[in-house]
Formats: sequence, structure tokens, C-alpha cells
Amino acid sequence: MALEGTLQDMSLSDLFQIFRLGPKSGVLVLNSGAERGVVYVTEGCLIDAALLSAGRTVRAAQEEALIQMLLWENASFVFRHDPAVSQRANRISHDSDWIVMEGMRRRADPARALPYHKISLDTCLQLSPLPIRTNSGVSLDMNQWRIVSLVSSNPNLRSICETAGIPHAQAIRTVAELMAIGMLEIMIPPPTRPQPRPRPARPLLPAATREAAFAGATMAPMECIDERPHVRRSLLDAVIRRVNGL
Amino acid sequence: MQTLKIVITGSYSAGKTQLIRTLSDIETVSTDYAVTLDEERQLKQETTVALDFGTIAINEQLTLYLFGTPGQERFDFMWEDLSIGCLGYVVMVDSTRPGHFAETRRLMDRFAEITDAPFVVAANKQDDLTALPVSYVRRRLGVPVDVPVLPCTSRERSSAKLVLLGLLKQIAARHLAVQPEEA
Repeated sequence: MALEGTLQDMSLSDLFQIFRLGPKSGVLVLNSGAERGVVYVTEGCLIDAALLSAGRTVRAAQEEALIQMLLWENASFVFRHDPAVSQRANRISHDSDWIVMEGMRRRADPARALPYHKISLDTCLQLSPLPIRTNSGVSLDMNQWRIVSLVSSNPNLRSICETAGIPHAQAIRTVAELMAIGMLEIMIPPPTRPQPRPRPARPLLPAATREAAFAGATMAPMECIDERPHVRRSLLDAVIRRVNGL
Repeated sequence: MQTLKIVITGSYSAGKTQLIRTLSDIETVSTDYAVTLDEERQLKQETTVALDFGTIAINEQLTLYLFGTPGQERFDFMWEDLSIGCLGYVVMVDSTRPGHFAETRRLMDRFAEITDAPFVVAANKQDDLTALPVSYVRRRLGVPVDVPVLPCTSRERSSAKLVLLGLLKQIAARHLAVQPEEA
């Protein structure tokens, strides 16, 4: 029982957010080539970390180890629950938001830290509905504050740039930083789902008839068959009652 | 005897077979066979190559059929057939494998092309203390706000039942919108 993946699947900053949301306790182990990172988490707080080189010598510890890990382009990770971690001493004085922001500031291209998010000028943003810690140790800079304050009144990042006069590249960088600490997220587009492709008509041969009977649907021999089942509400209510009683 | 159909889909090893086993009245019919790909073998010894099938008897005249789709994309030609006449579908996702999110998104897009039936997302393995929260799963999968993302432990009947009820409520709401005079 473990949370497993790679940093291409889920960034370290996302993992830290998830630990806090849980809140989770355990040990996160990352492997990037010959290097190994170990992070200890208690009740969502990062309490200790070490970055080990190939010979298992400690190359960096605590905050600096975490920042070095945040600079990795990829690594495999495993997080295992372990309540015994709470017995360890807390050797990290900064909170995870501060550490993540410091890691993002050291990156040449912060957007690459979130490989599964595509941030462009057409990106629609929103303030994250996920709860964030009120006593975060991060101090936002002027550009970060301006973007945060303009998100709700602008349809996309391009509009924010025009309103605030922030250069495009700087805005993308700033949005990546704000996403990494969980303040902003990309807005999910409204549910305008594509209509399913119409299927070609099938003759009402015995096989088609069997399908219709199988699905409880009434199919009409038209050019495009409406394959959606037509079910009476009373039948649905009966199904709901039965499932409720399971 | 009338039958209604619900499809359980999701990426590889998401828990589709287990959900059907947990809910079905009958011993489920599965067509698992030995896994051939190395990376898949690390997750499961057997995999569903055709489909899983279970039933819930509603009354003497009505039975609800549960069909599980094969998880691997190479079997996606079967999804279209399974979706014919389905009332709705459940998208299962493993909450401890963020590496499966991209595949689950592709699967959701593909199903949206195939059918406009209502659906819910079941964030499975929530009994694992390391599982990602439902809110994060929703964000990463880009699930629209009108589609429920439900916590799920497919081995527990009470949890599996809530997922199915969530889908049935979506189906009923769609039904009400389309045929209000019947309400």
C-alpha cells in the first residue's frame, strides 16, 4: 500500500500539497539516477530530508536537500504511510510552501516543474478551491500578487498580462510558481462535451434485435440509430431502491 | 425479463473487476488471462482481456447488468460495443497511481466521443492511507463540475454501492431534464 509514480506524473510540489491536505505521515523516497532523496513527513509537515549520492553519502540535508530535489526533472517516487515518523526530531524550520517557492525561483523554467500542465496565454485560471494553509510562510512578490488579484476578473492569462502590463514570459513563470504552491489552478472548461459520433444504420437483423433486447432499449430503423435506452422513471426508481438496499 | 446496462470502465488495474464482484448478485463472469506485457505484470498477474459481467436483480422482471471494459487501450474497439444502450458509466481510477491519470483522461475523452450517457468518476483505493484526495483526482482528470468524483473502496460493498447510487442519481437527473412530464 503506497503512493507511487514519477515526478512526470506528479510533481514534488503537488506531493507536498497532498501531504498537507491529508494530512499524511510517512516516508517519501525518490530515486533519480544514482541519487536518492528521502523526505520525512508528519501530519502533513516536512520534518526532515536528506539527499544521498551514489555512495550513500549525504550530499545535502533539510531545506537544501528538498530544494535540490525540486530541481530534478524526473525521479521515481514511493510514499509509504508510517506514523512512527512522528518520533523523529523536526529539523526543517521552513514550511513546504516556502521551500517550493525557493525551488521554483532557482529554476530557469518553472513551468517545466509541472509537466502535466500546459500554461499558455490562452490558459484560463482560477484560485484553487483546495484549502491552503492560512499561515503559509511564503511572501508573494508584486507580480504574484497582481496576477492573484486579477484572476477572477479576466478570462485568460493574456488578458491578465494586458491589464497588468506584465510581460508574457514573466506571467507564465509567475503562474507556474503560484500553481506550485497551490494558490492557482487551471480552470476546467465548462462541460460542452462533443456529441457522440452517429453510428451507421444497421438493419434490424436478429443480432440487432438481440442487442436492443439486451440493452432494454427501443431502437428505430432510421438513418442514425438512437442507441440511448429509453427507460421509464418508475424503473429507475426501482433500481435506485434496490441498490439502496444492497 | 427486461435488462438495463451500466458500464464500468477505467485504466488498467483501476479496480473495475473488483467493483463488479462486490456489487454483483451472481458469481461474476470474467475472462482474465495471464498478462503478457512486463510493466502490466508488475501490477497484476492476470488481466481482463474481454470483459467482466455481473448482475443485480431488481425484481422478477428487471435485471441490472454490469459490464467491465478491458482496461488496455489496445482493446478500445470493444468499448463502443459495450456502450450501446448503456444507461451510464463509471470511470474507475486508482488514487495511488498518478501515472494512470493521463491514460484515464484519454479514456474519458474517448468515451465522450462514443456516448453521451451520464457518468461518474470513482476514485478507488481510498482505504489506502497514502491515497490522493478526491479533490486532487478531480483536478488532475479535469472532471467538469457537474460530474461527481466519488471516493471508492471497490472491495467494500457500502462504498461500491454509493458509487452506483451516485451514477443512478446522475441518470435520474438527466432523465428528469429530458422527460420532466414523467417525474
